[in-house]
Amino acid sequence: MIRTNLSYHVPTTIEEACQIVRSADSAVVLGGGTMAVPQMVRGERVATDAVHLRALDLNGITLSDGTLEVGAMATYTDLIRSEAAAKYADLLVTVATGITGGAQIRNLGTVGGSACYANPSSDIPAALVALDARLRVHGCGAERDLLAAEFYRDAFRTGLRPDEILTTILVPAGECWAGYYKLKLSESSWPIATAAAVVRRDGDAWRGKLALGGVRATPMVIDLTPLLGSGGGISPEHVERARHLVEEQLDAPWDDELAPAEYRRDVAPTVAARAITALNERLASR
Amino acid sequence: MTTAVAEGHEAGHGNRARRMQGDLVLTGRGRFLDDIELPRMLHAAVLRSPHPHARILRVDTSAAARSPGVRAVLTGADALPLSGPIPHYFDPAIPGGKTHGFRCLAVDKVLYVGQPVAAVVAETLAEAEAALDALRVDYEALPFVLDAHQALRDDAPLLFEDWGDNVVIRNVFQEGDTERAFASAPYVLEDEIHIQRYGTSPMETRGYVAHWDEDDRLTFYGSCQNPHPLRSNLATMLAVPETQIRVIATRMGGGFGHKFHGYPEEPLVCVLSRMTGAPVKWLETRADSLLVGAREMAHRFAVAYDGDGRILAIRDRIVANIGALGSMAGWGMSFVAGMSFPGPYKVKNYDIESVAVVTNKAPWNGARSYGKESATLALERMVDLIAEKLGLDPVTVRRRNFIESHEFPYWTAAKRLDSGNYAGVLDKVIELAGYDERRAEQRQAHGQGRLLGIGVAFELTPEGGDFPGDLSRGFDTSTVRVHPSGKVSVLTGVTSPGTGNETGIAQLVAAELGVPVGDIAVVQGDTDSCPYGYGNASSRSLNLGGSAAVLAARDVRERMAVAAAVLLEMETATEMVFTDGWISAATDAERRLPFAEVARTVFTRAIAIPAISEPQLESTRTYAPTNLLHIPDEAGRVSPYPTYPNSAHISVIEVDADTGVVKVLSYAGVDDCGTVVNPTLVEGQFLGAIAMGIGGALWEDLSYGRDGRPRTETFKQYLLPRAPDLPHIAIGSQVTPSPFTLLGTKGAGEGGVAGAVASLTNAVNDALRPLGVTVRKMPLSGPTILAAIRAGARR
Repeated sequence: MIRTNLSYHVPTTIEEACQIVRSADSAVVLGGGTMAVPQMVRGERVATDAVHLRALDLNGITLSDGTLEVGAMATYTDLIRSEAAAKYADLLVTVATGITGGAQIRNLGTVGGSACYANPSSDIPAALVALDARLRVHGCGAERDLLAAEFYRDAFRTGLRPDEILTTILVPAGECWAGYYKLKLSESSWPIATAAAVVRRDGDAWRGKLALGGVRATPMVIDLTPLLGSGGGISPEHVERARHLVEEQLDAPWDDELAPAEYRRDVAPTVAARAITALNERLASR
Repeated sequence: MTTAVAEGHEAGHGNRARRMQGDLVLTGRGRFLDDIELPRMLHAAVLRSPHPHARILRVDTSAAARSPGVRAVLTGADALPLSGPIPHYFDPAIPGGKTHGFRCLAVDKVLYVGQPVAAVVAETLAEAEAALDALRVDYEALPFVLDAHQALRDDAPLLFEDWGDNVVIRNVFQEGDTERAFASAPYVLEDEIHIQRYGTSPMETRGYVAHWDEDDRLTFYGSCQNPHPLRSNLATMLAVPETQIRVIATRMGGGFGHKFHGYPEEPLVCVLSRMTGAPVKWLETRADSLLVGAREMAHRFAVAYDGDGRILAIRDRIVANIGALGSMAGWGMSFVAGMSFPGPYKVKNYDIESVAVVTNKAPWNGARSYGKESATLALERMVDLIAEKLGLDPVTVRRRNFIESHEFPYWTAAKRLDSGNYAGVLDKVIELAGYDERRAEQRQAHGQGRLLGIGVAFELTPEGGDFPGDLSRGFDTSTVRVHPSGKVSVLTGVTSPGTGNETGIAQLVAAELGVPVGDIAVVQGDTDSCPYGYGNASSRSLNLGGSAAVLAARDVRERMAVAAAVLLEMETATEMVFTDGWISAATDAERRLPFAEVARTVFTRAIAIPAISEPQLESTRTYAPTNLLHIPDEAGRVSPYPTYPNSAHISVIEVDADTGVVKVLSYAGVDDCGTVVNPTLVEGQFLGAIAMGIGGALWEDLSYGRDGRPRTETFKQYLLPRAPDLPHIAIGSQVTPSPFTLLGTKGAGEGGVAGAVASLTNAVNDALRPLGVTVRKMPLSGPTILAAIRAGARR
């Protein structure tokens, strides 16, 4: 039961939303509410004001000027059904399809909410980093874009300032292929480790990035560009190299009640390799 | 209280009568405890200890008492004169163990994180919970112990200083000359297996509403499995006559032993209602529910065997980490774990010691399978290890050790097994699973470097237990009442945890009286209207409550047969047939009367028609199986469990060698619970039990951090199986009736958990065999298995 008196706001403009957040003693911004509301019910999170973004028309998924714009209130189901997302960022569709919690969570939970919650054991942060996404945030009277790679500061901590609200996730929509692998212990388990391998082609030049989620407090990035072959794929020797890079760079593995740090350290290279294999298969079938 | 009226006409054994009120529950219209809203009802919230072991120095309630909406605040010291110690569900002192008197709120010290320390009643639950934050408690933290083996050390912190150690009881079960058998055996193996703390997670958590009315009469609504014993205990605690208390067990969304009584919140809501003069509701949160422990046991065993794989002797030392004891039914699982040896096997020498140890984890309550899963797991590991050592198929070793059909009844140290065809059940599951083909596939998979494993397990499940000295009972009572309309009420002392046993009971009574199942209403769980009974436990409800109802229905039928004969102007001794709503002469089917007409005539014209001298169509009967043996036989043996259903299981799994994650590929199970009344209900129980066993073997884990705090508060930390985690489960059935029960029934409900736990454990170890790796700690989760694989590679 939510223990304290709570003012529930449904602002109709983003500016109004920011003003409420700024003037509240403690505000919680609600996307789908699938994390924040249960936390408030359990008394783990206390707020004086809940600001629900549902009336801001932020659930669109559109292509604009070579950028896929995913509204912060787009749900996983919106992503799964979006033709634009399937065409320009199918990694997000893959991720949305595998979200733990079934239809209810996919219908309610939002990509933006997950992006801002910054739970290490979640799919979205690393996927956004792998896609070179930018996060457009609105503060009182101002707007700025943050690179996903810089947005994640620590577990459950982002670069959002206290009165800022995420409005849009911007994904470059060039030629892009992705492979994804998620390791979880059972259907209801949060991801233990995820890996998204993404390559982009710009003319004859290929760039690649591997982002791992769940393995440490913030997404971990490996530059795949030096490992890419002429067709964007990665040879078995270079998959091995990628495994080593993951092993070397994983300094402080995440540890929680589902899996100890040693386990994440052990499986991270495997998860990375499986994402790269998925990418290779994706490239081969293009 | 639930009153269920059946639909349809299917009566008698073996019929898949449509479940009474199943549609109501399935469509969300069934009412449960939390749906109860009484006028002026208040809400209780409980402040729980944040420390695993601490002395309570001071509780400051002043700020909480001023908090908005608050009507009462209660501390352990305040509660002392208001409620006595909670009577134990099974007092460990009865079989010679140590005991302790637990209160509804901790008084001097807390023994585990989550122990109730103070309570608040407010107008809304939100206000009550908010006031918890205003309570101030000063603690002096004490050293604590979480591991049972550490708790056994001389320097371990003591939970109960007057005990001198942390041992509740050492249960010993022996037969033959184990030492000699080991000394002369051709082969001996030693190993161990540790089953983790895991529970049952009913969909509906616990909850209670207490209401003292103006006449000082208490009505207690509870999501509880044993309303009559709970009423007896409330009367003791609250010092009011039992006659002034009515306990109503509401429709349950799962029991599993989690809702056996003995919890602090039971007297607590009563005290709070009395203090405030208003009804008070308390609901268990999921985090509260996940505090309740069960099953955590370590087996260190040795087995002596010959070159054919015959087991010559078993030694097992079981250490059960039962948490901080409490008054609930949990510790008894350590007894049953030992008592269940040597399972379905003909072993004449064994020495089993099961030690119940207290630690600073939250107490146990009963959990479906009640320690039998632990015994099954250890036994089935032993059999598989023998097979591995001798290079035999695990199926062969089981066949060579089974008690054979002609050897029943078969005595062990503390059981007289009723009947069985164990080899027949195993044969059926082998066929159902396609065992030989699965082995061929496994060989192929090994060739490809895949870790495919096949796990065989056999489970023997003692059921319907009766333990003299407490309010548990291996017998039960039902009333059958035929109304003037010809409709029938059955009032019974057994309850349904949501399994649908009321439908089975209605089928049995309908068959006796020759009326449609839809004419029967079954009333359960109301202590004001139902006969004293033990409610639901140990797969007993249909076997005991159903059989008692059959006996009562036969009494009523006899009276109606006489009345019908009189009305048909026949000899009163004429044999009458009851079928399809008619009572007819056995010798002349044309001479007949409608059942309802005979009922009405008895009510309206008894005595007036002199030969109809029994004017009441009602009977109450108590039924006990004849295999419940408390008076020691010449060898000093007793059998507190009367029936022994059994089942065989084969699972096929694959281990991901790089992550340790297990995928269950296929599963087959065959059960034998004696006579089956409603196959649909029995199959539902068997499937659910298998799912619960798979969940426990692979994922479910009530783990604790080093700080003594539970690490599982939601289903994101406590991983239950979901549909995509489970394969199609193929099930089959064999019927070997019990010669010691009225109907041949043995009980269904628990059976399947143990077999699934053991089968999965054997399957995972079978999969890891090519790597030379054995996993001895459960759950068999990715991290555990991968750690074992890595440790094996380092060897």
